[in-house]
Amino acid sequence: MPIITHDKKDLLNLIGTKLSTQELEEVISLIKPNVESSTETEIVLEVTPERPDLFGIEGLSRAIKLYLGLSGFKNYQVLNSKLNIKATHIPKRPYIAAAVIRNVSMTDAFIKSLMNIQEILAESIGRKRKKVAIGIHDLDGISQNISYVEANRDEKIFPLGTNEEMTLIEVLEKIPKGKEYGHLLAGVEKFPVFKDANGIFSFPPIINSDRTRVTEKTKNLFVELTGLDKKAVLQTLNIIVTNFAERGCIIESVKIFYGDKFEVTPELSPSYVDLGIGEINKLIGLDLKKSDVIGSLSRMGYGATDNKDVLRIYIPQYRTDILHKIDLLEDVAIGYGFNNFIPHLPNIATVGRSHPIEKLSNKVRNLLIGFGFQEIIRPILTNRRNMFDRMCAKQENIIELENPVSEEYACLRNWLLPSLVEVLSANKHVEYPQNIFEVGDAVIPDYQEETMSKTVRKISCSMSHSKASYDEIKGVVESLLKQMGTDYAFKENSSSTFIEGRQASIVVKNNIVGFLGEINPEVLDKWGLEMPCAAFEIELEKL
Amino acid sequence: MKRYELTEEGKDYLKNGLPEKRLVDILGKSKSLPFDEAKTSVDNFYIALQWTLKNNWVKSTGKELTLITYPNEIPQQNALEKIDRDEEVDENLVDILLQRKLIKKIVVSEADKLVGQEITNLTPQLLKSGLWKKVKFKKYDVNASVAKIYPGKLHAYRQVIEEIREKLIGLGFVEAKGPLVELNFWNADALFMPSDHPARGIHDIYMVKEPKEGKVLDKDLWRRVGDTHEKGWITGSKGWGSWDFELAKRLVLRSQTTAVSARTLSKLKSGDIPHKMFVIDRVFRPDVIDAKHFIEFDQCEGIVVGEGLTFRHLLGYLKEFAQIIGAEQVRFKPSYFPFTEFSTEMYVYFKDLGWVEAGGSGILRPEVTMPLGVEVPVLAWGIGIGRLAMLKLGINDIRYLISDNLDWLRNKEMVK
Repeated sequence: MPIITHDKKDLLNLIGTKLSTQELEEVISLIKPNVESSTETEIVLEVTPERPDLFGIEGLSRAIKLYLGLSGFKNYQVLNSKLNIKATHIPKRPYIAAAVIRNVSMTDAFIKSLMNIQEILAESIGRKRKKVAIGIHDLDGISQNISYVEANRDEKIFPLGTNEEMTLIEVLEKIPKGKEYGHLLAGVEKFPVFKDANGIFSFPPIINSDRTRVTEKTKNLFVELTGLDKKAVLQTLNIIVTNFAERGCIIESVKIFYGDKFEVTPELSPSYVDLGIGEINKLIGLDLKKSDVIGSLSRMGYGATDNKDVLRIYIPQYRTDILHKIDLLEDVAIGYGFNNFIPHLPNIATVGRSHPIEKLSNKVRNLLIGFGFQEIIRPILTNRRNMFDRMCAKQENIIELENPVSEEYACLRNWLLPSLVEVLSANKHVEYPQNIFEVGDAVIPDYQEETMSKTVRKISCSMSHSKASYDEIKGVVESLLKQMGTDYAFKENSSSTFIEGRQASIVVKNNIVGFLGEINPEVLDKWGLEMPCAAFEIELEKL
Repeated sequence: MKRYELTEEGKDYLKNGLPEKRLVDILGKSKSLPFDEAKTSVDNFYIALQWTLKNNWVKSTGKELTLITYPNEIPQQNALEKIDRDEEVDENLVDILLQRKLIKKIVVSEADKLVGQEITNLTPQLLKSGLWKKVKFKKYDVNASVAKIYPGKLHAYRQVIEEIREKLIGLGFVEAKGPLVELNFWNADALFMPSDHPARGIHDIYMVKEPKEGKVLDKDLWRRVGDTHEKGWITGSKGWGSWDFELAKRLVLRSQTTAVSARTLSKLKSGDIPHKMFVIDRVFRPDVIDAKHFIEFDQCEGIVVGEGLTFRHLLGYLKEFAQIIGAEQVRFKPSYFPFTEFSTEMYVYFKDLGWVEAGGSGILRPEVTMPLGVEVPVLAWGIGIGRLAMLKLGINDIRYLISDNLDWLRNKEMVK
């Protein structure tokens, strides 16, 4: 989830009323974002990803004002800028949207917020500029004839933050943003650019030109967005322009021509949904009156009118998260205040029970505790070296990860004994005897299954002390299986993990369900162990 | 300490004389006697005969016994007397007397030695012989240090898990399980997480190297889920506008136990409702490995499926869970999960710790429940069980939950 730092003074200015730190934090947390920390000058928020309208300081201040009743539903006005863009269809970045913002009074706080919002929206909704990339320019640095076209690789731009003009291909190779986002243009001969009469002023999704840089003297802005997802491009524009409007700016539309056809962006007239009061109360579990619901909705920024049997709810265009009427119901509850609900435990009689494998596992754990073993719980992720090489065991087909974060944890264990031996090797200085066990999961490939694998519950036990022996561990296995009411037999086994002639398979109903033995000194040596060890392992579900 | 004592036979000879003494005594009066007469006058005649012949005190013709010499002393008789008086006796004589079974070694039990003594250990022998009445018991230093004992026991973390399982079962929840290797479909798509959701990338979810894809068992279900993603199907939702079928087939490591909830819901029949389900199980997420993060951990979550369930009921369950985990107060905060709406986070108050984030919950979105074939509201909740265990166990490193530190495991006191 995005973590966003805001200038507290700017936030309070935008809200326009005095709030103590505690009041501010309280109202933010009632709306949804989490206050991570707060100082004299800054407040750090964790904002949930479905509410990009709360990422920016202006959108946040709007939500606070609404919740406190300092303002109501906003029907943002969009004037006509008479600015046109001639767009060509560019398959690599087919969708564009734009707007003009006038009456800007630039402050340090505004510039900071403008940079923040671009960064964070392009990262989140924009999926690291892939779905949406944003360029914000000083409109007065742009001449009227704007076009969105493909440019040759050797056409030039004076990139923002550099000292020289360079070709587009040089931008990708030389400057940091080019290196970071150049992959988004991989495989194309020509690159998408915005041009005006003076040449390229934006190279999406990489960088803007220095020529249209926003400064403290900027009075008017040109906002352009490009991307792969039309809905996301339009929604991001809506969030940006309505944010600016909260600073008193004027929003103007731009006409984008695709040949003869054109589109006008942004489109800010609210959509609406009709909801019955009964429908609302049914899921919320309260008996709210229409006026209560309208009040709650208003605190959350919606317009609502009483339309006979239903409420007509107007949804502002910056609320990009409303997919279903259920989303409005939640906002009624948030507007009402979660902590104003009296929790009610319904009287639903059902019979609880544990899963059979957990029930059995617990019985086995209890028996093993009775034998004096200490339970351990270990990771299921491990590596081939521990599971096979250091156990002198044959390599087997197992589930491996395509993207491990560390070579230590690169596959799922298919047996438990290596986990136990690993614990022994970490405790060489600790008092012996060390008798430990784990009842836990392993995963084995199984192409009959939906997931091409099976999660299996296994028991593994090891006894490590100066006289640890086959006989001793056999005693434990026999006692365990007898207590579990299982008929069993032992059959000679030959695995390199154990000493030849001091190991056996455990056979139940003609199936091999596990094995036991004295661990091969070669294995002990590989783990740096200097104490004899005997162990067994059983697949629980095979019993 | 007396080493030998007289046998019954020895006591008889002490009192009445050895048989050979009695024979020479009788012969001493008449010098000789007919064999048969001598035989009847002395008990144990043949013993007497053997020893008198051996010592050359008497000769026998077979019909008559004649005294050769009356011994000045009979060393065995003296020895018998000395042993009775507990005086030193020549070892050879002792051996002879032992052979003749006239004396026996006194077996002195360890316990008998202790009469009147101060003893350390009370033994079964002392109890059996009644000797315990005649001894004194040495006083112990009750503060002296003793050998350490490590009991066999459950992992401290397991104790926390078990406590919660027990309470959930008591509340009527049925425990469910699901596979650790999971299809993206169950882990994300069935939960209405969009195909391009950031948490589905390689930095947030483990992909299986081989095989890459699982099986599509219920094609109709997959179609319903896909349609819901693309344009809402019949759920009343706008949908996400797209769905990546190929991605849904991808095998991953389960990153949330909600996959188990989705599987459970898909199998519910109308007769199974109302239903309560819970799962406590392992999930995997790529992460840094440090005191606060590990790449696998356990989640505890559950669902309540029933006609007429409301958001207020959800809060009711959360309040109940807060009590289960021993919290004194509970507070709710709006939150976001892709598969729930409403979504709320629960904060609980512990006396020693203050307010702590305890878990998330919500009502499953219609986009989740309807394609799975469930028409009634489904309340869903999750408790951060690892975090809770850390609080309960007073540890600040998550790695202790999967600790290889035997000292810590042995010495960690039980969870109250």
